[in-house]
Amino acid sequence: MGLLIIAASVAGGTLLSSQSSINGALSRKAGTYETTFFTFITGALMLALLVLFFGSGDVMKILEAPAWQLSAVWFGVGYLFLTVLAVPQIGVIATNISTIIGQLGAGILIDHFGWFGGLRIPLDGERIAAFILLLAALWLIYKADKKQIKKA
Amino acid sequence: MKIWIYFIALMAGISLSIEGAVYGELGKTIGKLESSFYNFAAGSIILGLIVLFFGKGKLSATTEAPRWQMSGGLLGIIYLTILIFAIPVVGVGAAMISVIVGQLLMSLLIESRGWLGSRAAPVPKEKIFAVVLMTISLFLIY
Repeated sequence: MGLLIIAASVAGGTLLSSQSSINGALSRKAGTYETTFFTFITGALMLALLVLFFGSGDVMKILEAPAWQLSAVWFGVGYLFLTVLAVPQIGVIATNISTIIGQLGAGILIDHFGWFGGLRIPLDGERIAAFILLLAALWLIYKADKKQIKKA
Repeated sequence: MKIWIYFIALMAGISLSIEGAVYGELGKTIGKLESSFYNFAAGSIILGLIVLFFGKGKLSATTEAPRWQMSGGLLGIIYLTILIFAIPVVGVGAAMISVIVGQLLMSLLIESRGWLGSRAAPVPKEKIFAVVLMTISLFLIY
């Protein structure tokens, strides 16, 4: 079950990367906020149909869900704004790499403390080693991207 | 010093992990597809207002663009729904690394083939090595 979920998440990442290329192309004509709005509204329309036909939960419970759980949408929008702020100052590459470090660091801490009521996975030697390997990988990407920019 | 800008980018990444963790919980409360729907519906309202007040682009250009450029929403909902299923099972850390490995693999493929409107360029060997390191760390975390 776990491995299948991991494989699905890797596939999810490939979709996200395609989305960012596609939205990049669209935003050159339509604008950044307009493209993001378009992504959200078409996504909402498709999900409305999916929830109608395949939803097993209760969409009306949105009104009863605790506000902290509903606040997740602000973190998604917050991510967008912080990125829009950072990219013109330090560039896409440095922004992406800093974002990934924040994402993984926070992910590991959330798991360790079981924040927000989710799974609790303690930070052990293997996880620390994994984080160090990731930093090394990001450093390699940073180096390669810098080289590519110099050539271009 | 631009150090605080790096802090802003770091905060952007932290926001993504918090978003995932909290949606994992909302999924248990109202249902997984329903949580995904909530995100896109509430996000549409927020971004609709932003476009209304701060938009400098041309919203109508989205409907005149080639069809393939309209698929961002579809990809986005599949991605988020997978994440909402994954996080309660494998945790935030493993889910996020998996996503990043997938992103990196796909971006290398897109760059090397020149797909989706990008220019084809050879993949530097550092990046291949980086994918290998990341995959090892994914196994360590999982």
